[in-house]
Amino acid sequence: MKRPVVWLAGALAVLAAIPFVFGPLHTNLMVRLAIEALFAVSLNLLLSYTGLLSFGHALYFGVGAYGAALILTHLQGIPILVAVLLSALAAALVGLVLSPLLVRVRATAFTMLTLAFGQLMFVLCSKFREVTGGEDGIMGWTTPPLALPGLFSLDLRQPVNIYFFAVGLACLGILAMWFFTKTPMGSVMISIRDNQKRVDYLGYQVVLTKAVIFCFSGFFAGLAGAVYAVFNNLVSVGGVLHIMVSFQPLMAILVGGIGTFFGPILGSGLLLLLEEVTQAYPELALMISGVIFILVVMFLPGGAISFGARLRAWWRKRAYLRKARESEA
Amino acid sequence: MSPETQMYLAQGIHGLAYGMLLFLVASGLTLIFGMMGILNIAHGAFFMLSAYLCVTVLGATGSYWLSLLIAPLGVALLGILVERFMLRRAQASGMGHIAELLLTLGVSLVLAEAVKLTWGTEGLQVNVPSALAGLVNIAGLEYPIYRLFIIVLSLVVLALLSLVLFKTRLGTIVRAAVSDPGMVSALGVNTQIVFMLVFGLGSWMAGVAGVAAAPILTVFPGLGDQIGMDAFVVVVVGGFGSLFGALLAALFLGELNAFGIQFIPKLSPVLMFSFMALVLAFKPTGLFGERE
Repeated sequence: MKRPVVWLAGALAVLAAIPFVFGPLHTNLMVRLAIEALFAVSLNLLLSYTGLLSFGHALYFGVGAYGAALILTHLQGIPILVAVLLSALAAALVGLVLSPLLVRVRATAFTMLTLAFGQLMFVLCSKFREVTGGEDGIMGWTTPPLALPGLFSLDLRQPVNIYFFAVGLACLGILAMWFFTKTPMGSVMISIRDNQKRVDYLGYQVVLTKAVIFCFSGFFAGLAGAVYAVFNNLVSVGGVLHIMVSFQPLMAILVGGIGTFFGPILGSGLLLLLEEVTQAYPELALMISGVIFILVVMFLPGGAISFGARLRAWWRKRAYLRKARESEA
Repeated sequence: MSPETQMYLAQGIHGLAYGMLLFLVASGLTLIFGMMGILNIAHGAFFMLSAYLCVTVLGATGSYWLSLLIAPLGVALLGILVERFMLRRAQASGMGHIAELLLTLGVSLVLAEAVKLTWGTEGLQVNVPSALAGLVNIAGLEYPIYRLFIIVLSLVVLALLSLVLFKTRLGTIVRAAVSDPGMVSALGVNTQIVFMLVFGLGSWMAGVAGVAAAPILTVFPGLGDQIGMDAFVVVVVGGFGSLFGALLAALFLGELNAFGIQFIPKLSPVLMFSFMALVLAFKPTGLFGERE
């Protein structure tokens, strides 16, 4: 078997074993990790692969979360997977609607425009309380079981079941994005990051490719939001549309390693651990975020994942020096 | 004068005062961007910090005028330190503009929290200096003098900035560096020092605006969020690096804000962002900008 397949099978086996090894109570942390990692990887498609910094990715996360909450509240009896997929599609649709504007701007203007759209949705959702419940948000809907009629039915309020639901969807989403980066279109995406003008002159569809990327990235951010809604049974503007929700995955990408595919997953895990450790001091959360941004940009631009490469380089250098010394002697 | 005309006039002057304040903040931002290509996300936090410094200086000396002098200088010094020791390092990280945006974002978060830890989360009040307290009669409308003072102060700072930019050697260098930093550096100018000074100058302007705004707003940790966001919109709409564009955009958005609050209070924050999206849809470089 090929090496990536072995790695993948191993990782999936470990993930499947976690609830039985650590007990069902610790799975909540893993569910949060799954949501955060899926969200961060979707943003990473823009940041690391297309070279666009978004300050408004909470927009898609929020649309997915509100979509799931509204569907589950108002459409009784809809299968949970359909509800979640519809919410993610709604987020993709938002990406499609905004893409005519988003494809026109680059660099800092793109960052500002995404910031504006994110804030716009935040304001709209806070003001139209008839639909969204305003600042109180939406809560208390009954989550239908994950079921295939006549085959099985899993109650998603059980920690183990929501664990497999969230981690399963996150793995599928992350794998789909991994394969996307390997397709010809994925290569065009990376070329756009490196030199958009040249890609354009070579005859590739820059505008169309970017629109597809926005939809694709929006879809998976929306999926993460929908899973968040199902997991928490509560959606509020502060929780899913606030600007800090946009900064969280950015931080995960930075900490894990910008420019890599798996860095954001590692970063999400590290940030979640940090959050657990500093849980007793909630008033310091923003300060810690700020310090992380500063320190990583200044001292570790490659993120935590670059530690491996650095360690290997250091080891090689040591071995080389030792060999050189021995041959001298 | 009929009450309706009075309302229009009052909102009009309100909009003008906010527009000028906004221009004061945005011109510093756009100056830095035009020269260094850096959008300083922490600009709003500098504004907020200056208002807090004003509270402290006012408490220690009792003189508003002294705080108008000292607080912006403190912020300018902080700006210079951030540029020299942080941004310069970030620029060497090879992440391009992404590194700068994320670094200044970090600075703004740290400043907001540091302010909370130092001054507490409660809103603080700054009194209008006694020389500028009271109302003035404009064609039958009673209007607070202090807001007119803000307009005058902004004009004075703007005049000073124009003098420096268009009449001094430093200004010539800055204007040249806005259009081509590499060439200016090649001509033997130490652009590093100029960058540092410009960053300090831009921060100083945010500081002046912060002290000017302190008496009419409550000083609280989120003070800079709204005006910072508005200033980003002004810089984008006016065109990155264009002072004239920033002036027009700031005045327009000031009026849009004032009348938006009057007529459609529920949607007034939406107006600003919608206008920005509209401008970018037709001119991605902003109204008077040449660069993205």
